[in-house]
Amino acid sequence: MAIIQGFLYVLHPLRFLFLFLGVAGGIIVGAIPGLTGSVGIILLLPLVYQLDASTAIVMLCGMFCGAIYGGSISAILLSIPGTPSAAATVLDGYPLSQKGEAGKAIGVATIASTTGGIISTFCLMFIAPQLARFALKFGPEEYFALMIFGLTIIASVSGKSLVKGLIAGFFGLLIATVGLDPVTGYARFSFNIPNLMTGFPLLPVLIGLFAISEIFIQLELIDKKVVHYKQKIEKILPSFQELKNLFPTIIASSFLGTFIGMIPGTGGTIASFLAYGEAKRWSKNPDSFGKGNILGVAAPEAANNGTTGGAMVPLLSLGIPGDVITAVMLGALLLIGIRPGPFLFREHPEIVNSIFAGMLLANVLILLLGILSVRLFPRILRTPDAILFPAIFTLCFLGAFSLNNSVYDMSVALLFGVIGYIMRKNSFPMAPVVLGVILGPIAEDELGRAMIIAHGDWTVLFQSPIAIFFYAISIFSLLSSLKRQFSIHSKTK
Amino acid sequence: MGKKEILLSIVFMMISITIHILTYQFPQQTVALSPKVFPQFVSICLFILSVALLIQGIAGVKKNSEQKKVQPMFYRAFILRLLLMILLAFFYTQILPLIGYVLATPPFLAGAMLLFNEKRWFRVMAVSIVTTALLYILFRIVFKVPLPRFSLF
Repeated sequence: MAIIQGFLYVLHPLRFLFLFLGVAGGIIVGAIPGLTGSVGIILLLPLVYQLDASTAIVMLCGMFCGAIYGGSISAILLSIPGTPSAAATVLDGYPLSQKGEAGKAIGVATIASTTGGIISTFCLMFIAPQLARFALKFGPEEYFALMIFGLTIIASVSGKSLVKGLIAGFFGLLIATVGLDPVTGYARFSFNIPNLMTGFPLLPVLIGLFAISEIFIQLELIDKKVVHYKQKIEKILPSFQELKNLFPTIIASSFLGTFIGMIPGTGGTIASFLAYGEAKRWSKNPDSFGKGNILGVAAPEAANNGTTGGAMVPLLSLGIPGDVITAVMLGALLLIGIRPGPFLFREHPEIVNSIFAGMLLANVLILLLGILSVRLFPRILRTPDAILFPAIFTLCFLGAFSLNNSVYDMSVALLFGVIGYIMRKNSFPMAPVVLGVILGPIAEDELGRAMIIAHGDWTVLFQSPIAIFFYAISIFSLLSSLKRQFSIHSKTK
Repeated sequence: MGKKEILLSIVFMMISITIHILTYQFPQQTVALSPKVFPQFVSICLFILSVALLIQGIAGVKKNSEQKKVQPMFYRAFILRLLLMILLAFFYTQILPLIGYVLATPPFLAGAMLLFNEKRWFRVMAVSIVTTALLYILFRIVFKVPLPRFSLF
């Protein structure tokens, strides 16, 4: 079986070491409030860029899975979700921690995350190849329609203000238009500056928007009261009976998370809150939720790690990201020379199998690392900001420099750091900018191909039933985002 | 919502208008997709959305006109710190290729730590040197990533 080849590849000592480092790094990045999985992947990219594509992708998968789990640690110990998808874990995780049961809460979060991750990876292994086989029938016009659907995710990740989210998305698309036009090769908005002819380099743009802007935001928070977890962590593993009671919820939440993850524009936060709500609804004792019910930790953690495999389904088989972190993953894959989509399954099955095996093993490593290093977590969370963020700042510049050995790239990272900071301070979300920057050129490229094939006949875009289906779900996606915005506004009034 | 939204909407409007005007200098293609089509579409959408933000901003100003905002002292101190950090980072990006990673990074790290309110000098010095060394090992030795080096020639 092909997956065995994947396992044999990943279990090579050096590759397994990189996977281990990816998972461990992901857990640390996820655990530290202010750093997210997206930042972790972006900071890891300059390093893995030097590795072969399969090793690099295995390490990135480790970082991706580890970071989603890591978010639960600070949620439980400090009541601060390390990543947005761990927000629901705070509700019962922190009360458990206050009762002196932090060890058990982290233990259950680890088991639930591992189960969610493994179930979702099996779903990924089963569904993604089928979807990719179907997507092989797509031509440029279908791909263009698919990218339009991918871009409508901008509306779903816009946060509180749809207008600001859309402005951010179109700003991202505008950034992507700088440089050589993919169809004619004309250098747009380059003003005869050689560096601008190739456009803004993707990695420095991502480093600036996500990591450097976060450092500027943290600079504002240096006077905040620092919370530390001082209690001793004891009794990590739940009893067999407790596990038996937890497992139906964990399994159901894992499938729920996987399903939610597959729907572009949703992501771990929605999945974890939905799973929390369902666990509470089906519980015999719903009043105990919010006061330290262990099911309130198990359900969201199984669901948010369940989204990891789910979100990889559209990413790997169709080339469209499901949420912010998979958008960054898409950028990362493109930078290391892997173009996700149906052709990846046909032309590079070894990479696909490495991803499957890597994600399965990453989840096993989460279980081992989570249980064995649980007592180290409070120490990791005590890392002073005055050491952490200047070190990350340096890492950002080195990362921006290292890809092309270019000082210009460092300046681009700083410029987009300032732009990102100004936008974030004024409630413009960063996720739409990234989606625009990454999906914009792909959409334009496919549109150009369709136009060449059709000799400039625009009606070709609306002749394929598959393309029409994607336009229809794009409109549906936009309308549902609008409806949600109106309901938020009517509630606030 | 308020004055900031109005200002930002005007900025985005100016960007979209500038981009749109610039696209008229692009060559016209007859068969395939012209290089101006995509930027023109994006700039028009950005302009329309900026107008929507402007309307929201004006409505917000009317709503909040009675609320007076006082800028606290700590906010002004933060702005100064932020500007110094940006300046420090800019200086680092310029000096790095000239004097190399090993010489440029410790002062940059020390400066950033001071701006992050680290006042213990020994810690600042120790951490900036150790972090520089660790990042050098990680990039140069483990991952074989070339770093800028100081050279007289």
